[in-house]
Amino acid sequence: MAIAEAKVDMEALNKAIDEVFYSQLDSTLLYYFQACVNCKACEAACPFTPTSLHYSPVNKAEVARQLYRYRFTVWGRTVGRVIGGSKKYLSLEEAETMVDYAWHCVNCGSCAFVCPMAIDSGAMIDLLKQVAFKAGMGPKVYRDIAELEASGKYLEIDFFKNSWNSLISKIKDAIGKEVPLDKKGSEVLFYASIYEALAYPDVLVKVAKILDMLNKDWTFMSKPLGIRPPIGLVIGDKDGAVKVMQRVYSYFTDISPKYVMLTAGGFEYPALRYTMHETLKVEPKYEVVHVTELLAKWYENKEFEIEPLDEIITWHDPCQLGKRGGVFEAPRILMKALSKKFKELPSHGVNSFCCSGGGGGCGLPSMVNNMAKALGIAISDDDKKFLDKTSEPLIKAGKIKVGEINKIKAKEVLTGCPVCIESINFQIDYYHANSKVNHIVDILADRIKVSKK
Amino acid sequence: MQLPFGDYLVGNSLYPLALDLFTPTIFFFFFSASYRVFRYFAVYKKPFIPYATSVTRETSSTEKVKKLVDTFANSSKVGMKRKPVTTAVGLLMHLSLIVIIFLLAQHMIFWAYYISPYKILFPLAIPESSVDGELAFTLATSPYTPTSYPFVHDIWGPLTIILNGQYITYILVILLGIYLGHKFHALAEGLTLRSGDWWFFLLLYIDIILGFLATSHIPDSVAYYDNLLGAHILVAEILIATLPFTRGFHMFEFYLGKIREWYFMTYRRGEK
Ligand code: SF4
Ligand code: SF4
Repeated sequence: MAIAEAKVDMEALNKAIDEVFYSQLDSTLLYYFQACVNCKACEAACPFTPTSLHYSPVNKAEVARQLYRYRFTVWGRTVGRVIGGSKKYLSLEEAETMVDYAWHCVNCGSCAFVCPMAIDSGAMIDLLKQVAFKAGMGPKVYRDIAELEASGKYLEIDFFKNSWNSLISKIKDAIGKEVPLDKKGSEVLFYASIYEALAYPDVLVKVAKILDMLNKDWTFMSKPLGIRPPIGLVIGDKDGAVKVMQRVYSYFTDISPKYVMLTAGGFEYPALRYTMHETLKVEPKYEVVHVTELLAKWYENKEFEIEPLDEIITWHDPCQLGKRGGVFEAPRILMKALSKKFKELPSHGVNSFCCSGGGGGCGLPSMVNNMAKALGIAISDDDKKFLDKTSEPLIKAGKIKVGEINKIKAKEVLTGCPVCIESINFQIDYYHANSKVNHIVDILADRIKVSKK
Repeated sequence: MQLPFGDYLVGNSLYPLALDLFTPTIFFFFFSASYRVFRYFAVYKKPFIPYATSVTRETSSTEKVKKLVDTFANSSKVGMKRKPVTTAVGLLMHLSLIVIIFLLAQHMIFWAYYISPYKILFPLAIPESSVDGELAFTLATSPYTPTSYPFVHDIWGPLTIILNGQYITYILVILLGIYLGHKFHALAEGLTLRSGDWWFFLLLYIDIILGFLATSHIPDSVAYYDNLLGAHILVAEILIATLPFTRGFHMFEFYLGKIREWYFMTYRRGEK
């Protein structure tokens, strides 16, 4: 990504480096910084390595290590500088490389499980993303979207308002009655974001239908809590993310349900389940769960039966739901009930091969373009180049992903994250594979038979 | 003290120096290792755990133990699938190194001299040369004088024809050679390499070659032998002393990392 010199404020960049690196060191990060043996085992796991070995986790994280060494080690300040092992600041060219590396990581966590030293390179690369954001070097279109979310101004945008209201009326039509909105003390708070309302409104309608069919005490949100909150976490805007998390937490606490149920298993899941409470240092009275967790629980309680399909189906573990969130078993309970021909992908569980999550962006370029257009955000030439570049990892990682799907001859790939659905669909189309990708609820909703009222 | 041995004075070589430096080396190692470990404590922040328990995430104890094994085995499993050559080289190299360092008869005596309980492992000792192994097998040779310790070939039997210091060293030199190739490949690709990697790796390589030359008596002279053996021990001492500042420390931190991963992913989060 070429960034014209005039656009980069080197002073801001240096300040950002100092701020990020001096403020966040803890023993976990320290371990990641110093324990790496440079064995490159992590190459095998990263969805960006097929694009270039330069995007291998250890190579990307090395930039963070160099900045760390200068600040926290004696040799880094002395000999390390002379032999290139540490850096006080980055030159313009190095900073461009840093930004390029940072956006070739979706923080999927795959590298951590494959690393013999259990090093989460994603966590170190995230520091680089924070530096880039603070220095104003992240893609502008994402910065604009994050700013809209953090400021709360997204609520004033007609495009969003209309999509949300149309979602509520679709739900109303589907359940044949008024949608319970913002009802305090319900068992389930059905949570969704604007992004989901745009990406798969039908899935959300089906979730509501299931809740209604099962006669659950549930409620939906009259207004969305963000575009894809807390999107700041993905683009390196920690302060913005904290602001958004405060808003989300206060709504959750106000409604005070037993469960906050997410349909999305992308970064929202670990963010709202863990990061939000860890950051705000609060112990929630509710529990944040993915829709598959509750459905599996209700299924095991025999509240409904599932009419099985007669085809080979497989489950793609969304990285944030599985590796980062720890949800592996629940979707499998449902998948096994959905088809006797359920097969695991060759790489699954903690080794699930990441779809590259939009190729390093926060969604497919087409989706971002459409959203930007609807919001009146101009896409600059740099952003256009950036978005175009995200196709390459999607294609390269897609070769492996689609290869795995073909290997087990799965007709239906089910998953639980809007970006996984978009990305894998793109990859399946690109390679003309004979398969479909859907949210698990999409298929499940029509096959649920209620057994107990 | 210098003892005459022909026209050579024992004690006038690197060997006694190396022996004298062993205890300071260990002190230095402990000092540096404490520094490295202290840093972890210095920046430790108690993790905030939002959920004490979680209704949807029960994991049985058996499952937790099974996952502990999985946690340790996963890198090798995935590596064998996706990067079979480098993974196999890496695994074999570790295995050979462990066998050489801890089970080669000469090394065992060295360790037992400083850490007496090490003697328990004596029955596992492997001989230094292939000739020893072969003789043990073909002529059933055993020591002329009775020893209070088991004879080196007792457990391994005919296996010592291949399982001996000499052959394992050949394998190690080849494996480390492939490893070196891997590093040059990274260099050619413009990927980041670190001085700490080269330092540890080169010292290891030199040390293995020095040990091999000494035990093989190349060149065949007492003076060379003492100096080579001394140099072998000295290089090993530099390796040990600098271990906490190099990748060599992974032999301890490996466990820390994996147990931490298991604790957070399986135990604390209670993923099913
Ligand atoms: S696998 Fe782990 S130890 Fe090896 S290079 Fe990657 S981060 Fe470093
Ligand atoms: S977190 Fe995922 S995308 Fe990032 S470096 Fe690791 S494997 Fe690659």
